[in-house]
Amino acid sequence: MEEITGDFVARLASVWHRLILPEGDEETLAEMLVPMDAAGERVAPRVGFDMEPSDFEATLSDLARRRDG
Amino acid sequence: MSEEIEFLDACETASRIAAKDISSVEVTEAAIRRAERLQPVLNAFISLEAEVALDAARAVDTRIANGEPVGSLAGVPLAHKDMYYREGKVTTCGSKIRKDFVADHTATVLQRLEGAGALYLGGLNMSEFAVGPIGNNVHFGDCRNPWDTAHAPGGSSSGSGASVAARIVYGALGSDTGGSIRIPSAMSGVVGLKPTQTRVSRNGLMPLSFSFDCGGPLTRTVRDASRIFDVIAGHDPKDPTSSQRPLESCDASCEQTVEGMKIGIPTTYYFEDVDAPVSSLVDEACKVFRDLGAELVEAQVPDHEEMNLIWAAALSAEAATIHRKWLIERPEDYGGMVRRRIEFGLYQPATRYLEALTLRDGFLRDYCAKAFRDCDLLLTPTMPITAPRLSDVDVGDSEEMPALVLRISKNTRPISYLGLPALSVPCGFTSDGLPTAFQLIGRPFDEATLCRAGHVYQSATDWHAKVPELAA
Repeated sequence: MEEITGDFVARLASVWHRLILPEGDEETLAEMLVPMDAAGERVAPRVGFDMEPSDFEATLSDLARRRDG
Repeated sequence: MSEEIEFLDACETASRIAAKDISSVEVTEAAIRRAERLQPVLNAFISLEAEVALDAARAVDTRIANGEPVGSLAGVPLAHKDMYYREGKVTTCGSKIRKDFVADHTATVLQRLEGAGALYLGGLNMSEFAVGPIGNNVHFGDCRNPWDTAHAPGGSSSGSGASVAARIVYGALGSDTGGSIRIPSAMSGVVGLKPTQTRVSRNGLMPLSFSFDCGGPLTRTVRDASRIFDVIAGHDPKDPTSSQRPLESCDASCEQTVEGMKIGIPTTYYFEDVDAPVSSLVDEACKVFRDLGAELVEAQVPDHEEMNLIWAAALSAEAATIHRKWLIERPEDYGGMVRRRIEFGLYQPATRYLEALTLRDGFLRDYCAKAFRDCDLLLTPTMPITAPRLSDVDVGDSEEMPALVLRISKNTRPISYLGLPALSVPCGFTSDGLPTAFQLIGRPFDEATLCRAGHVYQSATDWHAKVPELAA
Protein backbone atom coordinates (compact mmCIF):
# COMPACT_ATOMS: atom_id res chain seq x y z
CA MET A 1 0.00 0.00 0.00
CA GLU A 2 1.17 3.52 -0.73
CA GLU A 3 1.34 6.19 1.99
CA ILE A 4 -0.05 9.70 2.10
CA THR A 5 2.72 11.98 0.88
CA GLY A 6 3.09 15.64 0.07
CA ASP A 7 2.94 14.87 -3.63
CA PHE A 8 -0.30 12.97 -3.16
CA VAL A 9 -1.87 15.87 -1.22
CA ALA A 10 -0.70 18.40 -3.81
CA ARG A 11 -2.27 16.29 -6.56
CA LEU A 12 -5.55 15.95 -4.66
CA ALA A 13 -5.59 19.71 -4.14
CA SER A 14 -5.08 20.33 -7.81
CA VAL A 15 -7.46 17.67 -9.16
CA TRP A 16 -10.30 17.81 -6.65
CA HIS A 17 -10.20 21.45 -5.60
CA ARG A 18 -8.41 23.37 -8.40
CA LEU A 19 -6.08 24.59 -5.68
CA ILE A 20 -2.35 25.19 -5.89
CA LEU A 21 -0.91 24.83 -2.40
CA PRO A 22 1.61 27.35 -1.06
CA GLU A 23 5.19 26.08 -1.10
CA GLY A 24 5.77 23.46 1.61
CA ASP A 25 2.15 23.16 2.72
CA GLU A 26 1.67 19.78 1.10
CA GLU A 27 4.25 18.09 3.37
CA THR A 28 2.74 19.55 6.56
CA LEU A 29 -0.76 18.61 5.45
CA ALA A 30 0.38 15.08 4.67
CA GLU A 31 1.89 14.78 8.16
CA MET A 32 -1.40 15.93 9.68
CA LEU A 33 -3.38 13.45 7.61
CA VAL A 34 -1.33 10.32 8.31
CA PRO A 35 -2.39 9.68 11.96
CA MET A 36 -5.99 10.53 11.16
CA ASP A 37 -6.02 8.13 8.27
CA ALA A 38 -4.50 5.41 10.43
CA ALA A 39 -7.13 5.94 13.14
CA GLY A 40 -9.84 5.87 10.50
CA GLU A 41 -8.56 2.56 9.19
CA ARG A 42 -8.59 1.11 12.71
CA VAL A 43 -12.18 2.12 13.47
CA ALA A 44 -13.70 1.63 10.02
CA PRO A 45 -14.40 -2.09 10.54
CA ARG A 46 -16.72 -1.17 13.38
CA VAL A 47 -19.18 0.48 10.99
CA GLY A 48 -22.25 -1.74 10.76
CA PHE A 49 -24.60 -2.07 7.81
CA ASP A 50 -27.59 -0.52 9.61
CA MET A 51 -25.85 1.94 11.93
CA GLU A 52 -27.14 5.48 12.22
CA PRO A 53 -25.60 8.69 13.58
CA SER A 54 -25.69 9.26 17.34
CA ASP A 55 -28.88 9.65 19.30
CA PHE A 56 -28.75 11.09 22.81
CA GLU A 57 -32.17 9.71 23.74
CA ALA A 58 -31.10 6.17 22.81
CA THR A 59 -27.93 6.59 24.87
CA LEU A 60 -29.91 7.74 27.90
CA SER A 61 -32.33 4.80 27.55
CA ASP A 62 -29.35 2.49 27.26
CA LEU A 63 -27.80 3.97 30.40
CA ALA A 64 -31.07 3.72 32.36
CA ARG A 65 -31.49 0.09 31.30
CA ARG A 66 -27.98 -0.77 32.45
CA ARG A 67 -28.53 0.94 35.81
CA ASP A 68 -31.91 -0.76 36.35
CA GLY A 69 -30.55 -4.09 35.25
CA MET B 1 -20.60 53.28 43.88
CA SER B 2 -19.69 52.37 40.32
CA GLU B 3 -16.83 50.15 41.50
CA GLU B 4 -19.24 48.18 43.69
CA ILE B 5 -21.62 47.77 40.77
CA GLU B 6 -18.92 46.29 38.61
CA PHE B 7 -18.02 43.53 41.03
CA LEU B 8 -21.54 42.13 41.42
CA ASP B 9 -22.50 39.06 39.42
CA ALA B 10 -25.22 39.10 36.78
CA CYS B 11 -27.94 37.60 38.99
CA GLU B 12 -27.34 40.06 41.82
CA THR B 13 -27.16 42.96 39.38
CA ALA B 14 -30.49 41.97 37.82
CA SER B 15 -32.07 41.72 41.27
CA ARG B 16 -30.84 45.15 42.32
CA ILE B 17 -31.96 46.75 39.06
CA ALA B 18 -35.40 45.16 39.41
CA ALA B 19 -35.59 46.38 43.02
CA LYS B 20 -34.59 49.91 41.87
CA ASP B 21 -31.53 49.85 44.17
CA ILE B 22 -29.48 50.74 41.13
CA SER B 23 -30.41 51.71 37.61
CA SER B 24 -29.50 49.89 34.45
CA VAL B 25 -28.10 53.16 33.11
CA GLU B 26 -25.65 53.39 36.03
CA VAL B 27 -24.57 49.80 35.49
CA THR B 28 -24.19 50.28 31.76
CA GLU B 29 -22.26 53.53 32.03
CA ALA B 30 -19.83 51.84 34.41
CA ALA B 31 -19.42 48.92 32.00
CA ILE B 32 -18.75 51.30 29.10
CA ARG B 33 -16.16 53.23 31.10
CA ARG B 34 -14.38 50.02 31.96
CA ALA B 35 -14.57 48.71 28.39
CA GLU B 36 -13.01 51.93 27.08
CA ARG B 37 -10.32 52.03 29.78
CA LEU B 38 -9.25 48.42 29.31
CA GLN B 39 -9.54 48.13 25.53
CA PRO B 40 -5.95 49.32 24.88
CA VAL B 41 -4.72 46.77 27.42
CA LEU B 42 -6.88 43.71 26.67
CA ASN B 43 -8.23 44.26 23.14
CA ALA B 44 -11.31 42.29 24.17
CA PHE B 45 -13.80 44.08 21.90
CA ILE B 46 -14.06 44.14 18.13
CA SER B 47 -17.00 46.55 18.29
CA LEU B 48 -18.35 48.53 21.23
CA GLU B 49 -21.97 49.69 20.92
CA ALA B 50 -22.24 52.11 23.80
CA GLU B 51 -25.23 54.08 22.53
CA VAL B 52 -27.21 50.95 21.65
CA ALA B 53 -26.63 49.59 25.15
CA LEU B 54 -27.49 52.90 26.85
CA ASP B 55 -30.74 53.26 24.89
CA ALA B 56 -31.73 49.73 25.93
CA ALA B 57 -30.76 50.49 29.55
CA ARG B 58 -32.99 53.57 29.59
CA ALA B 59 -35.86 51.48 28.24
CA VAL B 60 -35.40 48.88 30.98
CA ASP B 61 -35.31 51.56 33.69
CA THR B 62 -38.50 53.08 32.30
CA ARG B 63 -40.30 49.73 32.32
CA ILE B 64 -39.27 49.12 35.92
CA ALA B 65 -40.28 52.64 36.95
CA ASN B 66 -43.69 52.04 35.36
CA GLY B 67 -44.12 48.77 37.25
CA GLU B 68 -44.05 46.67 34.08
CA PRO B 69 -42.73 43.09 34.25
CA VAL B 70 -39.14 42.53 33.13
CA GLY B 71 -37.08 39.44 32.39
CA SER B 72 -34.54 37.57 34.50
CA LEU B 73 -31.57 39.49 33.03
CA ALA B 74 -33.22 42.89 32.71
CA GLY B 75 -30.77 45.75 32.41
CA VAL B 76 -27.61 43.61 32.62
CA PRO B 77 -24.89 44.42 30.03
CA LEU B 78 -23.57 41.43 28.11
CA ALA B 79 -21.36 41.20 25.02
CA HIS B 80 -20.81 38.24 22.73
CA LYS B 81 -18.20 36.54 20.61
CA ASP B 82 -18.36 38.36 17.28
CA MET B 83 -19.98 35.45 15.44
CA TYR B 84 -23.59 35.81 16.61
CA TYR B 85 -25.54 37.54 13.86
CA ARG B 86 -27.49 40.74 14.49
CA GLU B 87 -29.69 41.97 11.68
CA GLY B 88 -28.18 44.95 9.92
CA LYS B 89 -24.94 44.80 11.91
CA VAL B 90 -21.45 43.73 10.91
CA THR B 91 -20.42 40.33 12.32
CA THR B 92 -16.76 39.75 11.57
CA CYS B 93 -16.20 36.20 12.87
CA GLY B 94 -12.76 37.54 13.78
CA SER B 95 -11.80 37.39 10.13
CA LYS B 96 -10.61 39.60 7.30
CA ILE B 97 -12.90 37.74 4.92
CA ARG B 98 -16.05 38.72 6.86
CA LYS B 99 -14.90 42.06 8.23
CA ASP B 100 -17.70 43.87 6.38
CA PHE B 101 -20.34 41.10 6.49
CA VAL B 102 -23.75 42.47 7.48
CA ALA B 103 -26.13 39.86 8.86
CA ASP B 104 -29.67 39.70 7.49
CA HIS B 105 -31.14 38.10 10.59
CA THR B 106 -30.58 37.98 14.33
CA ALA B 107 -29.42 34.85 16.13
CA THR B 108 -32.19 33.15 18.09
CA VAL B 109 -30.12 33.18 21.28
CA LEU B 110 -29.62 36.95 21.01
CA GLN B 111 -33.37 37.40 20.57
CA ARG B 112 -33.97 35.27 23.65
CA LEU B 113 -31.46 37.26 25.71
CA GLU B 114 -33.06 40.50 24.57
CA GLY B 115 -36.43 39.06 25.55
CA ALA B 116 -35.04 38.46 29.05
CA GLY B 117 -34.00 42.12 29.17
CA ALA B 118 -30.25 41.65 28.72
CA LEU B 119 -28.32 44.46 27.01
CA TYR B 120 -25.87 44.11 24.12
CA LEU B 121 -22.63 46.00 24.61
CA GLY B 122 -20.74 44.78 21.57
CA GLY B 123 -18.94 42.09 19.59
CA LEU B 124 -15.97 40.42 21.26
CA ASN B 125 -12.58 39.42 19.94
CA MET B 126 -12.12 35.77 18.99
CA SER B 127 -9.82 33.42 17.12
CA GLU B 128 -10.29 33.83 13.39
CA PHE B 129 -13.36 31.82 12.32
CA ALA B 130 -13.34 30.22 15.82
CA VAL B 131 -10.27 28.15 14.93
CA GLY B 132 -7.58 27.92 17.61
CA PRO B 133 -7.43 27.51 21.39
CA ILE B 134 -4.93 30.30 22.07
CA GLY B 135 -7.05 33.35 21.37
CA ASN B 136 -4.63 35.21 19.14
CA ASN B 137 -5.87 36.99 16.02
CA VAL B 138 -3.73 38.29 13.18
CA HIS B 139 -6.50 40.55 11.80
CA PHE B 140 -7.83 42.32 14.92
CA GLY B 141 -4.80 41.92 17.18
CA ASP B 142 -4.33 39.50 20.03
CA CYS B 143 -6.71 39.58 22.95
CA ARG B 144 -4.83 39.45 26.27
CA ASN B 145 -5.26 37.64 29.53
CA PRO B 146 -6.48 39.98 32.32
CA TRP B 147 -4.47 38.09 34.96
CA ASP B 148 -1.23 38.73 33.11
CA THR B 149 -1.33 40.51 29.80
CA ALA B 150 1.80 38.72 28.62
CA HIS B 151 -0.25 35.52 28.59
CA ALA B 152 -2.85 34.15 26.18
CA PRO B 153 -6.51 34.50 27.15
CA GLY B 154 -7.47 31.17 25.59
CA GLY B 155 -9.61 30.68 22.51
CA SER B 156 -11.47 30.66 20.49
CA SER B 157 -13.86 32.74 22.65
CA SER B 158 -10.95 34.93 23.80
CA GLY B 159 -12.76 38.25 24.23
CA SER B 160 -15.62 36.52 26.04
CA GLY B 161 -13.31 35.15 28.72
CA ALA B 162 -11.21 38.31 29.02
CA SER B 163 -14.14 40.77 29.19
CA VAL B 164 -15.93 38.76 31.87
CA ALA B 165 -12.76 38.21 33.91
CA ALA B 166 -11.96 41.94 33.76
CA ARG B 167 -15.46 42.72 35.07
CA ILE B 168 -16.35 44.70 31.95
CA VAL B 169 -19.48 42.70 31.17
CA TYR B 170 -21.54 40.41 33.39
CA GLY B 171 -21.55 37.52 30.95
CA ALA B 172 -20.81 36.68 27.33
CA LEU B 173 -21.73 34.04 24.83
CA GLY B 174 -18.99 31.98 23.27
CA SER B 175 -19.04 28.91 21.08
CA ASP B 176 -17.40 25.53 21.58
CA THR B 177 -16.44 23.04 18.88
CA GLY B 178 -13.50 21.42 20.66
CA GLY B 179 -13.12 23.47 23.82
CA SER B 180 -13.61 27.09 22.73
CA ILE B 181 -15.81 27.99 25.71
CA ARG B 182 -14.06 25.90 28.35
CA ILE B 183 -10.46 26.75 27.40
CA PRO B 184 -10.79 30.56 27.60
CA SER B 185 -12.87 30.13 30.75
CA ALA B 186 -10.06 28.15 32.34
CA MET B 187 -7.28 30.43 31.12
CA SER B 188 -9.09 33.63 32.12
CA GLY B 189 -10.50 32.40 35.43
CA VAL B 190 -14.23 32.49 34.69
CA VAL B 191 -17.03 29.94 34.41
CA GLY B 192 -17.82 28.36 31.03
CA LEU B 193 -20.76 26.12 30.19
CA LYS B 194 -20.74 24.00 27.04
CA PRO B 195 -24.26 22.61 26.79
CA THR B 196 -25.23 19.27 25.29
CA GLN B 197 -24.95 19.34 21.50
CA THR B 198 -28.40 20.37 20.08
CA ARG B 199 -29.51 21.94 23.37
CA VAL B 200 -28.97 25.53 22.22
CA SER B 201 -30.13 26.90 18.88
CA ARG B 202 -27.44 27.65 16.33
CA ASN B 203 -29.64 29.77 14.13
CA GLY B 204 -27.61 32.90 13.43
CA LEU B 205 -24.35 31.48 14.77
CA MET B 206 -21.45 31.42 12.32
CA PRO B 207 -20.81 27.76 11.60
CA LEU B 208 -17.49 25.99 11.88
CA SER B 209 -18.70 22.42 12.09
CA PHE B 210 -22.38 21.38 11.82
CA SER B 211 -21.84 18.36 14.03
CA PHE B 212 -19.88 19.86 16.90
CA ASP B 213 -20.65 23.61 17.19
CA CYS B 214 -22.32 24.55 20.42
CA GLY B 215 -23.15 27.99 21.88
CA GLY B 216 -22.99 28.72 25.59
CA PRO B 217 -22.16 31.29 28.27
CA LEU B 218 -18.95 32.47 29.95
CA THR B 219 -19.76 34.13 33.26
CA ARG B 220 -18.48 35.27 36.66
CA THR B 221 -20.38 32.56 38.56
CA VAL B 222 -22.04 29.23 37.91
CA ARG B 223 -25.35 30.78 38.96
CA ASP B 224 -24.98 33.35 36.16
CA ALA B 225 -24.19 30.63 33.63
CA SER B 226 -27.26 28.73 34.79
CA ARG B 227 -29.51 31.73 34.33
CA ILE B 228 -28.19 32.54 30.86
CA PHE B 229 -28.47 28.87 29.87
CA ASP B 230 -32.11 28.79 31.00
CA VAL B 231 -32.80 31.77 28.75
CA ILE B 232 -31.03 30.57 25.60
CA ALA B 233 -31.65 26.80 25.69
CA GLY B 234 -34.57 24.91 24.23
CA HIS B 235 -35.98 23.99 20.85
CA ASP B 236 -35.94 26.56 18.08
CA PRO B 237 -38.00 25.95 14.92
CA LYS B 238 -35.34 27.93 13.03
CA ASP B 239 -32.75 25.29 13.97
CA PRO B 240 -34.33 21.91 13.15
CA THR B 241 -31.36 20.13 14.76
CA SER B 242 -32.18 21.64 18.16
CA SER B 243 -33.57 19.17 20.67
CA GLN B 244 -37.25 19.12 21.62
CA ARG B 245 -36.52 17.52 24.99
CA PRO B 246 -38.08 19.56 27.85
CA LEU B 247 -35.65 21.76 29.80
CA GLU B 248 -34.75 21.32 33.43
CA SER B 249 -33.98 24.69 35.01
CA CYS B 250 -30.31 25.02 35.87
CA ASP B 251 -30.99 28.16 37.90
CA ALA B 252 -33.39 26.18 40.12
CA SER B 253 -30.93 23.30 40.45
CA CYS B 254 -28.49 25.68 42.15
CA GLU B 255 -30.75 25.55 45.24
CA GLN B 256 -29.85 21.89 45.85
CA THR B 257 -26.92 20.37 47.74
CA VAL B 258 -24.36 17.81 46.56
CA GLU B 259 -24.90 15.46 49.51
CA GLY B 260 -24.93 11.93 48.19
CA MET B 261 -23.85 13.02 44.72
CA LYS B 262 -21.34 10.63 43.19
CA ILE B 263 -18.49 12.35 41.35
CA GLY B 264 -16.36 10.14 39.14
CA ILE B 265 -12.62 10.74 38.86
CA PRO B 266 -11.36 9.14 35.63
CA THR B 267 -8.49 6.74 36.22
CA THR B 268 -7.02 7.23 32.75
CA TYR B 269 -6.40 9.96 30.17
CA TYR B 270 -7.64 13.21 31.80
CA PHE B 271 -5.09 13.35 34.64
CA GLU B 272 -2.18 12.18 32.50
CA ASP B 273 0.42 14.77 31.45
CA VAL B 274 -1.11 17.43 33.73
CA ASP B 275 1.27 20.04 35.16
CA ALA B 276 1.79 19.49 38.89
CA PRO B 277 0.41 22.85 40.09
CA VAL B 278 -2.78 22.30 38.06
CA SER B 279 -3.13 18.76 39.35
CA SER B 280 -2.67 19.92 42.93
CA LEU B 281 -5.39 22.58 42.66
CA VAL B 282 -7.82 20.13 41.09
CA ASP B 283 -7.09 17.70 43.94
CA GLU B 284 -7.97 20.49 46.38
CA ALA B 285 -11.27 20.98 44.59
CA CYS B 286 -12.00 17.27 45.00
CA LYS B 287 -11.46 17.63 48.74
CA VAL B 288 -13.93 20.52 48.84
CA PHE B 289 -16.55 18.35 47.19
CA ARG B 290 -15.87 15.54 49.64
CA ASP B 291 -16.26 17.95 52.56
CA LEU B 292 -19.56 19.10 51.09
CA GLY B 293 -20.94 15.57 51.23
CA ALA B 294 -20.26 14.29 47.72
CA GLU B 295 -18.81 10.85 47.26
CA LEU B 296 -15.76 10.62 45.00
CA VAL B 297 -15.42 7.37 43.11
CA GLU B 298 -13.06 6.05 40.45
CA ALA B 299 -14.48 6.10 36.94
CA GLN B 300 -13.36 4.11 33.92
CA VAL B 301 -13.32 5.82 30.55
CA PRO B 302 -12.67 4.22 27.15
CA ASP B 303 -9.56 4.92 25.13
CA HIS B 304 -9.66 8.39 23.61
CA GLU B 305 -6.97 8.27 20.94
CA GLU B 306 -9.17 7.18 18.07
CA MET B 307 -12.05 9.41 19.11
CA ASN B 308 -9.78 12.45 19.05
CA LEU B 309 -8.42 11.67 15.62
CA ILE B 310 -11.70 10.93 13.91
CA TRP B 311 -13.25 14.01 15.56
CA ALA B 312 -10.55 16.08 13.86
CA ALA B 313 -11.24 14.37 10.54
CA ALA B 314 -14.97 15.12 10.73
CA LEU B 315 -14.56 18.67 11.99
CA SER B 316 -12.03 19.58 9.33
CA ALA B 317 -14.18 18.08 6.57
CA GLU B 318 -17.17 20.16 7.65
CA ALA B 319 -15.10 23.33 8.08
CA ALA B 320 -13.44 22.82 4.69
CA THR B 321 -16.84 22.40 3.05
CA ILE B 322 -17.95 25.78 4.40
CA HIS B 323 -14.65 27.49 3.54
CA ARG B 324 -13.76 25.80 0.23
CA LYS B 325 -14.66 28.73 -1.97
CA TRP B 326 -12.56 31.16 0.08
CA LEU B 327 -9.69 28.70 0.43
CA ILE B 328 -9.47 28.63 -3.34
CA GLU B 329 -10.18 32.28 -4.10
CA ARG B 330 -8.77 34.13 -1.08
CA PRO B 331 -6.18 31.94 0.65
CA GLU B 332 -4.03 34.96 1.47
CA ASP B 333 -6.85 36.46 3.56
CA TYR B 334 -6.59 33.74 6.22
CA GLY B 335 -4.02 33.58 8.99
CA GLY B 336 -1.55 30.85 8.05
CA MET B 337 -2.36 28.50 10.93
CA VAL B 338 -6.11 28.91 10.52
CA ARG B 339 -5.97 28.25 6.79
CA ARG B 340 -3.98 25.09 7.24
CA ARG B 341 -6.18 23.74 10.03
CA ILE B 342 -9.26 24.19 7.87
CA GLU B 343 -7.62 23.18 4.61
CA PHE B 344 -6.66 19.67 5.58
CA GLY B 345 -10.35 18.83 5.66
CA LEU B 346 -10.29 19.08 1.85
CA TYR B 347 -8.36 15.83 1.70
CA GLN B 348 -10.54 13.60 3.88
CA PRO B 349 -12.43 10.93 1.93
CA ALA B 350 -16.20 11.26 2.29
CA THR B 351 -16.30 7.73 3.69
CA ARG B 352 -13.86 8.69 6.47
CA TYR B 353 -15.99 11.68 7.40
CA LEU B 354 -19.15 9.59 7.53
CA GLU B 355 -17.42 6.87 9.51
CA ALA B 356 -16.60 9.47 12.16
CA LEU B 357 -20.23 10.55 12.39
CA THR B 358 -21.65 7.04 12.24
CA LEU B 359 -19.33 5.67 14.89
CA ARG B 360 -20.11 8.53 17.24
CA ASP B 361 -23.16 6.66 18.53
CA GLY B 362 -21.10 3.64 19.56
CA PHE B 363 -18.42 5.78 21.16
CA LEU B 364 -21.09 7.76 23.03
CA ARG B 365 -22.88 4.70 24.36
CA ASP B 366 -19.63 3.04 25.35
CA TYR B 367 -18.38 6.18 27.08
CA CYS B 368 -21.62 6.77 29.00
CA ALA B 369 -21.96 3.12 29.98
CA LYS B 370 -18.43 3.03 31.40
CA ALA B 371 -17.99 6.54 32.75
CA PHE B 372 -21.41 7.04 34.34
CA ARG B 373 -21.94 3.48 35.53
CA ASP B 374 -21.27 4.40 39.16
CA CYS B 375 -21.44 8.17 39.24
CA ASP B 376 -23.57 11.19 38.35
CA LEU B 377 -20.85 13.25 36.69
CA LEU B 378 -17.10 13.29 36.04
CA LEU B 379 -14.49 15.74 37.33
CA THR B 380 -11.27 16.41 35.39
CA PRO B 381 -8.83 19.28 34.92
CA THR B 382 -10.21 21.53 32.17
CA MET B 383 -6.69 21.92 30.80
CA PRO B 384 -3.41 20.21 31.66
CA ILE B 385 -1.59 23.57 31.79
CA THR B 386 -2.27 27.21 32.65
CA ALA B 387 -2.36 30.01 30.11
CA PRO B 388 0.88 30.03 28.10
CA ARG B 389 2.78 33.23 27.38
CA LEU B 390 1.75 34.78 24.07
CA SER B 391 5.42 35.00 23.07
CA ASP B 392 5.82 31.25 23.66
CA VAL B 393 2.83 30.35 21.50
CA ASP B 394 3.66 32.78 18.73
CA VAL B 395 4.73 29.88 16.58
CA GLY B 396 2.63 30.96 13.60
CA ASP B 397 1.87 28.02 11.38
CA SER B 398 5.05 26.21 12.31
CA GLU B 399 5.29 22.50 12.98
CA GLU B 400 5.06 23.14 16.73
CA MET B 401 1.49 24.42 16.45
CA PRO B 402 -0.40 21.11 16.09
CA ALA B 403 1.26 19.67 19.23
CA LEU B 404 0.48 22.79 21.22
CA VAL B 405 -3.16 22.82 20.09
CA LEU B 406 -3.52 19.15 20.96
CA ARG B 407 -2.12 19.62 24.45
CA ILE B 408 -4.26 22.65 25.29
CA SER B 409 -7.48 20.97 24.11
CA LYS B 410 -6.64 17.46 25.30
CA ASN B 411 -9.41 17.27 27.91
CA THR B 412 -12.06 19.20 26.02
CA ARG B 413 -11.94 17.67 22.52
CA PRO B 414 -13.34 14.23 23.33
CA ILE B 415 -16.34 15.78 25.06
CA SER B 416 -17.08 17.83 21.96
CA TYR B 417 -16.98 14.73 19.77
CA LEU B 418 -19.40 12.97 22.09
CA GLY B 419 -21.63 16.06 22.38
CA LEU B 420 -21.83 15.84 26.17
CA PRO B 421 -22.40 18.86 28.44
CA ALA B 422 -19.43 20.21 30.40
CA LEU B 423 -18.84 23.03 32.86
CA SER B 424 -15.48 24.67 33.56
CA VAL B 425 -15.13 26.17 37.05
CA PRO B 426 -12.13 28.17 38.36
CA CYS B 427 -10.41 26.40 41.27
CA GLY B 428 -7.43 28.52 42.26
CA PHE B 429 -4.22 30.09 41.08
CA THR B 430 -0.74 28.75 40.49
CA SER B 431 2.25 30.48 42.12
CA ASP B 432 2.64 32.74 39.07
CA GLY B 433 -0.89 34.09 39.58
CA LEU B 434 -2.58 32.30 36.70
CA PRO B 435 -6.01 30.70 37.10
CA THR B 436 -6.72 27.03 36.75
CA ALA B 437 -10.00 25.16 36.53
CA PHE B 438 -11.74 21.84 36.75
CA GLN B 439 -14.22 20.49 34.24
CA LEU B 440 -17.44 18.70 35.18
CA ILE B 441 -18.79 16.37 32.49
CA GLY B 442 -22.39 15.17 32.51
CA ARG B 443 -24.75 12.80 30.79
CA PRO B 444 -26.62 14.10 27.75
CA PHE B 445 -28.97 16.97 28.72
CA ASP B 446 -27.88 16.90 32.37
CA GLU B 447 -26.61 20.47 32.56
CA ALA B 448 -28.62 20.89 35.78
CA THR B 449 -26.45 18.44 37.74
CA LEU B 450 -23.30 20.20 36.53
CA CYS B 451 -24.64 23.61 37.57
CA ARG B 452 -25.81 22.27 40.92
CA ALA B 453 -22.35 20.88 41.69
CA GLY B 454 -20.55 23.96 40.37
CA HIS B 455 -22.72 26.38 42.33
CA VAL B 456 -22.33 24.45 45.59
CA TYR B 457 -18.55 24.46 45.06
CA GLN B 458 -18.58 28.24 44.56
CA SER B 459 -20.73 28.67 47.66
CA ALA B 460 -17.94 27.05 49.67
CA THR B 461 -14.97 28.78 47.95
CA ASP B 462 -14.14 32.26 46.75
CA TRP B 463 -11.92 31.73 43.71
CA HIS B 464 -14.64 33.15 41.47
CA ALA B 465 -14.65 36.38 43.48
CA LYS B 466 -10.99 37.15 42.83
CA VAL B 467 -10.50 40.06 40.45
CA PRO B 468 -7.47 40.69 38.21
CA GLU B 469 -5.34 43.58 39.45
CA LEU B 470 -5.90 45.64 36.32
CA ALA B 471 -9.65 45.44 36.91
CA ALA B 472 -9.57 46.21 40.64
